[in-house]
Amino acid sequence: MNTTLVYHRPTTLDEAVRLLAPGVVVLAGGTVVNAGTRPTGDVLVDLQALDLSGIDAPTAATLVVGATTRLSAVATDARVPSWLRDLARRELPSSLRTLATVGGTVIAGGPHSVLLAGLLACDAVVTLVGANGSGEVALADLLEELATQGQTTQPRIITSIRLDIGGDANAQSTARTTADVPIVACVVRRTPKGLRTTMSGVAGTVVIVDDVEALNPPADFRGSTEYRRHLARVLQARAITELGVGQ
Amino acid sequence: MNVNITLNDVAQNFTVDPADTLLELLRREGCFSVRYGSDSGETGASAILLDGRLASSEVILAAQADGHRVDTVEGLSAKRDDLDPVQAAFVAVGGFQSGYSAGALILATHALLADNPSPTETEIRDALSGVLDRETAYVKAVEAVKRAASVLRGEATEPFRPAILAPLTDGVRPVAYEAGATAPNVSPAIPRLIPSTDVPDMAVVGKPELKVDGVKLARGNPTFADDVELRGMLHAKVLRSPHAHARILDIDDSAAVALPGVHAVKHYKNTPRVLYASGGQSWPNPHPWDQVSFDNKVRHVGDRVAAVAAESPAIAEEACRLIKVTYEVLSFVLDENEAMADGVAVIHDEADAVGVHDASRNLALHIKAQTVSDANIEKAFASAAHVFENTYRVQQVQQTPIEPHVSVAWLDEDERLILRTATQVPFHVRRIVAPLLGLQVKDIRVMKPRVGGGFGAKQEMLIEDIVGHLALATKRPVRLVLDREEEFASSRTRHPQTLTFKTGVDKNGKLVAQQLNVTASTGAYGTHGFTVQNVTGLRGLSSYNCPAKKFDCHVVYTNIPVPGAFRGYGAPQAEFALECHMEDIARSLGREVIDFKRQNWVKVGDKLDIVMFLGERGTLDPADVDPASFPPVMTSGIEECVAQAMRAIGWHRRDDPSWVAPADRPHIRRGIGFAFCMHGTAIPFLDMGGCSIKMNDDGSFNVMSGAADLGTGADTVLGQIAAEVLGVPLDDIIMYTGDTDMTPFDVGAYASSTTYISGSAVKKAADVVRWRIKLRAARLLGVEEPCSIELHDRRAWAPDGRSISLEDIALNSLHTEDHEQIMGTGSHVSHECPPPFAAQFAEIEVDTETGQVTVVKLVMAVDCGVAINPITASGQVEGGMFQALGYAVCEEFAFDETGRMVNAEFGPYWIFRADDAPATEVFLVQTMEDSGPFGAKAVAEIPTDGVAPAVRNALLQATGVAINQIPFTPERVYHALNSRS
Repeated sequence: MNTTLVYHRPTTLDEAVRLLAPGVVVLAGGTVVNAGTRPTGDVLVDLQALDLSGIDAPTAATLVVGATTRLSAVATDARVPSWLRDLARRELPSSLRTLATVGGTVIAGGPHSVLLAGLLACDAVVTLVGANGSGEVALADLLEELATQGQTTQPRIITSIRLDIGGDANAQSTARTTADVPIVACVVRRTPKGLRTTMSGVAGTVVIVDDVEALNPPADFRGSTEYRRHLARVLQARAITELGVGQ
Repeated sequence: MNVNITLNDVAQNFTVDPADTLLELLRREGCFSVRYGSDSGETGASAILLDGRLASSEVILAAQADGHRVDTVEGLSAKRDDLDPVQAAFVAVGGFQSGYSAGALILATHALLADNPSPTETEIRDALSGVLDRETAYVKAVEAVKRAASVLRGEATEPFRPAILAPLTDGVRPVAYEAGATAPNVSPAIPRLIPSTDVPDMAVVGKPELKVDGVKLARGNPTFADDVELRGMLHAKVLRSPHAHARILDIDDSAAVALPGVHAVKHYKNTPRVLYASGGQSWPNPHPWDQVSFDNKVRHVGDRVAAVAAESPAIAEEACRLIKVTYEVLSFVLDENEAMADGVAVIHDEADAVGVHDASRNLALHIKAQTVSDANIEKAFASAAHVFENTYRVQQVQQTPIEPHVSVAWLDEDERLILRTATQVPFHVRRIVAPLLGLQVKDIRVMKPRVGGGFGAKQEMLIEDIVGHLALATKRPVRLVLDREEEFASSRTRHPQTLTFKTGVDKNGKLVAQQLNVTASTGAYGTHGFTVQNVTGLRGLSSYNCPAKKFDCHVVYTNIPVPGAFRGYGAPQAEFALECHMEDIARSLGREVIDFKRQNWVKVGDKLDIVMFLGERGTLDPADVDPASFPPVMTSGIEECVAQAMRAIGWHRRDDPSWVAPADRPHIRRGIGFAFCMHGTAIPFLDMGGCSIKMNDDGSFNVMSGAADLGTGADTVLGQIAAEVLGVPLDDIIMYTGDTDMTPFDVGAYASSTTYISGSAVKKAADVVRWRIKLRAARLLGVEEPCSIELHDRRAWAPDGRSISLEDIALNSLHTEDHEQIMGTGSHVSHECPPPFAAQFAEIEVDTETGQVTVVKLVMAVDCGVAINPITASGQVEGGMFQALGYAVCEEFAFDETGRMVNAEFGPYWIFRADDAPATEVFLVQTMEDSGPFGAKAVAEIPTDGVAPAVRNALLQATGVAINQIPFTPERVYHALNSRS
């Protein structure tokens, strides 16, 4: 019975940061925060008026995606590589994709998120603002922190995600049906520096995979640990083959 | 707080609580087209346009919408005859069935076409991906979007009607399959109709009439159970068990009762203990009777503990949290094969349960049937040249209608209890709920408004007693809507079963003995345990001729959520096992599978012997039954079905190694599988429908039927039957159904009975009215023989060509002379149960390295007699196949170590979306079934029967691996393939 909920819609980042306090819930699209039971925090800070939406391409190989950019915008922006657009489309169906934001997807940190696997493959760097100022953190590190510490740390606001989109990439997945959330999804991105493999469904969060054999995926009703590890091997090999590596 | 929203072009200011969702605000403001399907936004039933973008409104706070534009379908058309092009397109092609999510589908189309006037099919399917539709296969929705796009581009459109195809057979004998022959290229949304020469041409019946409820659904009119607001309404919530099995030692409700805003708390300590069975079935309900409104024991996670009525849902939830329950936690069992083992906890140890076969062994029922004596069964097996035995397992799945269970109860001015409820069985609900509430049947009125899908889940008295108890306790209206997790955990599901078929075959391939042993779980309560498993026996042992048959079924209690009625009703389980078993026998014998099955499947004139030994009126001893009384098959279009569907699927490709193993995709194998399907049409001697029809001043007619349209198109079909008899267009028929005060009795919507039983009642009532019209017309026209009068084109015609309008006849009868309300009633019970037949084919691809099975195409050709409306009939087939597809490849209840369901949301559970749907083709093969209204048989359930075995058989053909357990999830298939290698 949440009768004490307070809703804020700050219009500047400074105002938003001033509102941050333990227990405050940052609200972006709402597809996670508002789903199921009502917001559990007493204070909601809605980011929609902060002008954090949009995609910039400062260089041919770099995209800066505003935190409140909708997944539907990512899925349709021609500057986004087609493989990443497909992952944004695949992340959620049409009635949620228009609400969910890139920043919210990062904070939710879902272990089965195909879009996160794509962002991680792009060496994503996340810009955060909090009471202690702003800073950048690698997406991989942030996901690790979220997976281990949850949302218990001081609330912060993601303002943007910077992506390296150079090179090419291939995404592979296995699911019960073609649109189902993959049991395991794998993205292999090739750059002059080499190959980077990221995966969903093989750990408590989406991860960079250096050694498939070292994975110890958590089991659930859709896939056992060993089966997920097997999928990881198969899907990585396929993605590499599709990229023409070694041919 | 105040929010400013431009709602349907009007700038408005609303006062909201910060916790209010946009869904709640919109419904409060009368936008009833925006509907609840879940709390997670997954169903899309609540979708609106937010600044032109499709968005699920239950995951948007009203506060977030401040300053934005919101559009709903209420803003699209001002008048009922002024639909916008998208609404009109959906109505024209039958793009929705129940229409619960019609508004969302229409808005999704608007959002797409605003940006993209010429979308591809992939883009259309992606745009619709956010609106789950459990009733259709999305194929007609996609067609509607294409049609709307054409209209908006200024292009002409053709009337949407079936494609008439020439028959490939003489209707009886098979024809040789012509490899490479192609079926006519027609849009997949259009049913292919193969007419029969013995079906006369009719004016309304057999025509693709628009659904009678299409316009109101497209406009989002308030028509569902929850689309009502009553002054002083209270909101109910149910406290549910966290334990799979526990005794309630005590309940302390004092804190809950003391919470401001709480009006009543009900539980076992303050509710009379009246035993009942919740299944919506004819009186007397089959045993066991093992439920009470609130018990001192819980038998599955999600079982009822207590219920609260309060000023708001939030207060009711908080009150539930304040109820202190002291449990004695007991051990539990989930697997039906372990339920009867020694040492397993007894689930129904109460002393007063009625009709439990052996409670100490958790054996709810032991069902047996056989067509010959045990000695003759053994003799038949001994005589067989080959004996085959296989065991199969089918899982627990749920109907998942997008509209959850909803009931609203209040006392009317006479202090009678009114139940406005989403039910398939209003009359059964009234009869079952009355004693639980201490009322008589006459004290209760059950009103079934529009129902947003049921599929058997609502063939149950599930929550009506709860709102009844609370309304009687508070004297206030009480509303209860189950949330999605409650739907999964506490409504109804399909019975999981373990089935073993044993079959003896002679040296010529003819079946000589067949035995089916089943262990079925009825979960925590018996409800439909008896009848569903009877249908398993019936369907498992009816499809193929065999002189010696035996059925032995243990129906056991377990601590899983309760199985009940689910479209197909025991047949999908049986037919999965049977069609896999027959496939395996054919392969073992080296026989071509269709040829082997054809040799044995029932044909016109063959007797359905096992029918006499099953069901409520079954006979135990074969010696008591005269074989001459076995009902015969009177019509079958199976050969035409097989011929049409084989051609459509391209059956020959399965024998082409380069197709099965494509060189450019080395990890892919392809296969095509077949399943022969036979179902029933209603329950003979038991299912009863009633109808009354009255004539109005203008020559229109009110048809009042006890039937229940769940989105099936029943109202349309029944209206077409009445219109055909009365010689009027469908527009002149006003349907009103499912109201225990206002309509005649009908058992309700189940057992594929509505068209056949309720339709026959409508026809009988219309025949009475027709005769009254003829009598008056003859007098007014000066014709001596009323029989010679004909009705058509809204007029009564004399043999000499003179005529009088029905309006003039009505005015004469009501206002002028020899005053009479022209009206008629009809009741119908059938002594027959004519089986529809179908050929189901599935084309699949399997990834041999991952185990992922992708169903590429489903083709079903159905003999449903005369399809009264081929568009709605084909919609039933499409939607049924899709439910069956989920059964085959992905849907399954999963539990943790405490017995809690871990996938009680649509995402992890997964039902098919528009963007992962395979191609479909539907053929309707006409036969003239004389016992049905205008030749009709059933169509609603047979589409659920064949998909799983067809997919399994395709998988077998593609890989050589037989997998006898569904669903064919990637890991299960991977392990099966891997164990072979």
